[in-house]
Amino acid sequence: MKNKKILVCDDDQGILEMLELILEDEGYQVVIEPKSVNALKRIEQETPDLILLDIWMPVISGDQILRSLKSDTEKAKIPVFMYSASTDGKVIAKAAGADGYLEKPFDIEVLLANIDDLIKAYPMG
Amino acid sequence: MDYTQTGKKLDIDLLSKVMDATNTGIVITDNLLPDNPIVYCNPAFEEISGYSREEIIGHNCRFLQGKDRGQEQRAIIGAAIANGENCHVEIRNYSKTGKLFWNELYISPVKDDEGNVTNFIGIQNDVTLRKKAQLELEMNQADMEKKVEERTRMLKDNQEYLKSIVETIRESLLVMDKNYNILSANNHFLNTFKVSINETKGKTLYDLGNGQWNIPELKVMMEEILPTNNPVLDYEVEHEFPHIGKKLMLLNAHRIELEGQYKDWILLAIEDITDRRAIQQRKDDFLSIASHELKTPLTTIVGYMQMMNRLMPENASDKFKNVVDKTSRYVHRLNQLLGELLDVSRIQTGNIELHPEPFDFDRMVMETIDGIKAASPKRNIELVGKSGTNYNGDESHLVQVISNLLSNALKYSPENTTVTVQVNAISDFIKVSITDRGMGISHDEQAKVFDRFYRVGEIQRHYPGMGIGLYICQQIISNHGGTIWVESEKQKGSVFSFTLPVNR
Repeated sequence: MKNKKILVCDDDQGILEMLELILEDEGYQVVIEPKSVNALKRIEQETPDLILLDIWMPVISGDQILRSLKSDTEKAKIPVFMYSASTDGKVIAKAAGADGYLEKPFDIEVLLANIDDLIKAYPMG
Repeated sequence: MDYTQTGKKLDIDLLSKVMDATNTGIVITDNLLPDNPIVYCNPAFEEISGYSREEIIGHNCRFLQGKDRGQEQRAIIGAAIANGENCHVEIRNYSKTGKLFWNELYISPVKDDEGNVTNFIGIQNDVTLRKKAQLELEMNQADMEKKVEERTRMLKDNQEYLKSIVETIRESLLVMDKNYNILSANNHFLNTFKVSINETKGKTLYDLGNGQWNIPELKVMMEEILPTNNPVLDYEVEHEFPHIGKKLMLLNAHRIELEGQYKDWILLAIEDITDRRAIQQRKDDFLSIASHELKTPLTTIVGYMQMMNRLMPENASDKFKNVVDKTSRYVHRLNQLLGELLDVSRIQTGNIELHPEPFDFDRMVMETIDGIKAASPKRNIELVGKSGTNYNGDESHLVQVISNLLSNALKYSPENTTVTVQVNAISDFIKVSITDRGMGISHDEQAKVFDRFYRVGEIQRHYPGMGIGLYICQQIISNHGGTIWVESEKQKGSVFSFTLPVNR
């Protein structure tokens, strides 16, 4: 669990700060990115063990980022967890190939449990 | 007295016998005596008047009118007597017993050689029966005329009334005969479609305005109205209409008949719901966007709330713990309300999307019960039976239904009672029943609990909410092809059940 790095990309500062606090409290190393246009570059730089992605973001949406990741053999292996306030988010996330999804407002305990499972299952870990 | 006429002397005895035998009343007055008294009357007059000869002789004839002095005929008689002329009247007279009789009276003067009026002869006939019949006839006639007049006025009033309704109503109306020829169109129709009455009346519905109503589906329904008597109800037509552009119209058509006047006519009502639909769409969009926008900050709050619980120091005061606990409960409530609002906006736009996937139905029920138990640890919830089914449906929506029914069952029953969840496979259905031992729902209210925004009256005061939970449950179940219902008895409890078809 320790030293696992999670990258969170969300255009909402409140969510970013809250997730950073909680994930750090869990013992993760957390990188936050408020601009979806920078997401791919940050992933390249940080090589996180898991990515948390909002779906609805301006300029580039979460599912577009995910599709780009999936086209890159190396990065395609990083587990991606998505969330959204929209009810059709689940379908979009699944279609884009997300490893997990929750609808906002999500239960933190459920989110943490999901993240934990994904990181344990991640082969590169 | 000299009874000579044309120089021929008549036999007085004979004459007197004739007068005795006739059934016509005859009186003779002496005009030369004061007040023109009766000097002779025959037996028929006694018969008619009911008075005896002794009571008649010496009286003026007016005694026959009793107190009935206001008759215009009296003036005629008065004038004839004053001028010594003939007269013929029908006058109301009264017999000795006070009984009214109509007297047809002829009065003739008798003059001497100098032309002075010496006597008057009054010939009287009781014409009461004839008069009565005549009066009745007149009255009937007058009555009839009045009735005819009244009916005509009523018909006219009714027509005016109907016309004013037809013209006032904010809906386009067309009346057609059985061949769909337009018999009439109201002004609202003409104004809405910007056409004249000449372009409309006499044409068939399908020929109107470039065949704009010539829609196969509508045609089938219209053609079924007369043979089957099935009306067309709330049929929506979206069409690019000449003059007015693209509009959404709501059509209703019925067969109409007025006995003896017409039958097999069709009334078509056309309502333009373009604006209404657009407003509804904007409202739904707003509701949807607003609740989405609210969800993001709420997610942050929920996250921090959970952090507060995690970070709570062991030695924190009860007061502080209580405040944190209350805050999380109300954040949870706010979250629920937002969810309901979103559900409503989705359902209203018909957007309640199901994402069916096969899942273990019994596991889902168990997990849902566990979730509710965690929130109300004091309550006893028992699970009876199982479906043994891998059901293909929208799991998260069905969780929502069971949670909702369970929360209601807990909310509306005393803490020391048990809530039972019964799950069974019945034929090719899954049946779930949730039974509480609570206050129950009266029969009247059972029919309404699934209505949107309906809250059982007395409950609103104790348990505020939006009253859409059961409405949403019903929508979710019916979208799965199932049914949901309630059976309940006041003070004994309620059973909410739903069924889901397994092979859909």
